[in-house]
Amino acid sequence: MIELRNVTKKFGRNTAVNDVSLTVTAGEIFGLLGHNGAGKSTAIGMMLGQVWPTAGQVKLCGHEVTRDRRRALQKVGAIFEAPAFYNDLSGWRNLEILSTYTAPTPARRIQEVADWVGLSGRIMDKVKNYSHGMRARLALAQALLPQPALLILDEPGDGLDPEGIHEMRQTIQRLHRELGLTILLSSHLLVEVEQVCLSIAVMNQGRKVFQGGIAETRQARGWVRLRTGNFAEAARILRESGLITREREGQFILPAEGVGADKVVERLVERRQPVFEIAPEEETLESFYLSLMKK
Amino acid sequence: MIYYQLRNELWKMFGKKRTYIGFGAFLLAHASILLIFRYWQGPRRDMVHRLELLGYDSQKYISNLTMAVAVLVPVAVLLMPLYVALVGGDLLAKEVEDGTLRMILARPISRLRLALVKWLAGLIFSVVLALALGGVGAAFASCLFPSGGLFVFLPMEGIFSLFGPGQGWSRYTIATIIVSANAATVMGLALMFSCFNVKPAAATILALSVLLTSRIIQEIPYFHDLQPWFFTYHMNYWIKMFEQRVPWAEIMQSLSVLFGFNLTLLIIGCVAFQVRDIKS
Repeated sequence: MIELRNVTKKFGRNTAVNDVSLTVTAGEIFGLLGHNGAGKSTAIGMMLGQVWPTAGQVKLCGHEVTRDRRRALQKVGAIFEAPAFYNDLSGWRNLEILSTYTAPTPARRIQEVADWVGLSGRIMDKVKNYSHGMRARLALAQALLPQPALLILDEPGDGLDPEGIHEMRQTIQRLHRELGLTILLSSHLLVEVEQVCLSIAVMNQGRKVFQGGIAETRQARGWVRLRTGNFAEAARILRESGLITREREGQFILPAEGVGADKVVERLVERRQPVFEIAPEEETLESFYLSLMKK
Repeated sequence: MIYYQLRNELWKMFGKKRTYIGFGAFLLAHASILLIFRYWQGPRRDMVHRLELLGYDSQKYISNLTMAVAVLVPVAVLLMPLYVALVGGDLLAKEVEDGTLRMILARPISRLRLALVKWLAGLIFSVVLALALGGVGAAFASCLFPSGGLFVFLPMEGIFSLFGPGQGWSRYTIATIIVSANAATVMGLALMFSCFNVKPAAATILALSVLLTSRIIQEIPYFHDLQPWFFTYHMNYWIKMFEQRVPWAEIMQSLSVLFGFNLTLLIIGCVAFQVRDIKS
């Protein structure tokens, strides 16, 4: 659905995106992560034909954006951080205006989308009277009008309150579930990405430093969380038995090579130590992301 | 499709309050100038004196038409470019500044088409503004002065003309229509700057700077021979409609030059808009 091949973008001497290749397949909810200035928005700008790549190739829905923009963007909807509208016009008129840049849209379709995003009661109000949340819904409505197959969301959670962020998350999942959209979500809200996306790419200083499934980011690095009545005593027993090599933070142990949870539990039970929980440590996306940034 | 997109641009343009500043300013300028003419004897006495000195019946020529032209000339030359440049400078640069251009360019419309649609909308605005200028002047003058012939005295242009009401109104109407070509030129200039990576205010100021610079250079006596090379020189030609004998060939020549100038501005603007990056 999205294919970036060795894409580079330079602004003068500054390289905003450096030799990035990226593939998003149809039906995915794909997260694009990175700090401010990492190159996410520039990459999205190149996907939408708003920023010209210095080198490389950008394809959307099988069409090269720089050469065949019209066909590449025919089935694409996009939402940007702090959605901008014509504030002196009504929500309805904004939708009419924006949709005709793709194709004239019948009033029935506009009403349908306004209902879908929950704006039908206020759609005739001027946008300057909309709250931030309502503007976010209107942004979603304009993106959905051309019946897209691909939705590109550039920092959609920026400026939203916790309820707004929760609603946004629900909406993204609903879009994927009900409309079967492929979604590219660019964000630095790691928790949101972690809860919504199945695959991610991480950008750092213009380069892609990781691409893979969310599951890969959670891979245990060998540490096991152990909850017991007396962690220090349990750790001493396990160390003396040669079952662990290290412990940390009063709850994590690093088993010796070839030692499984069964052996650890067996030894502790033998020594009458209660075991309440034993589970592999799951790395959070945040810790994974931070470790990438340090590299 | 282009109809809908042009309609969009007009909705956007006429949905903004600042679009109406020009219309409001014209109302104010016309009202002020005509009220001074009506109730302050000084300027009228001067006009009467000039006419009677040459043996004309001043009562026939101190009319709504004469006053409408007396207001049209300064407002069209000084005020109109300001408001046209204000709207023209906004056309693209304001959309970039507000972030709405990113929303538009996330859709499958080509930049060339968008620039052309905006230029068309600007052209329509220029024509409407120029016609409003002429219409408002005629309406105000008709409220305050009696009907009659047209007396035009523009010493800088070497014009001293007298017309009957029929011919006077037709000259006034055609002059107003030609003024819209001037408005379109200023609009094209402001839109061209708006296509570059500049703020809306900068586009407006740049357009006005070019306009004023051209006018200043054109007025320097030593540059007299170079005058036809300045676009502002050709923008003055609508005033020739008030010469006793209309120099149609020269007016058409000037309109052709302005057409070429506008086309050049449009091409430069489109190219600049096409190659630039649109970032948040």
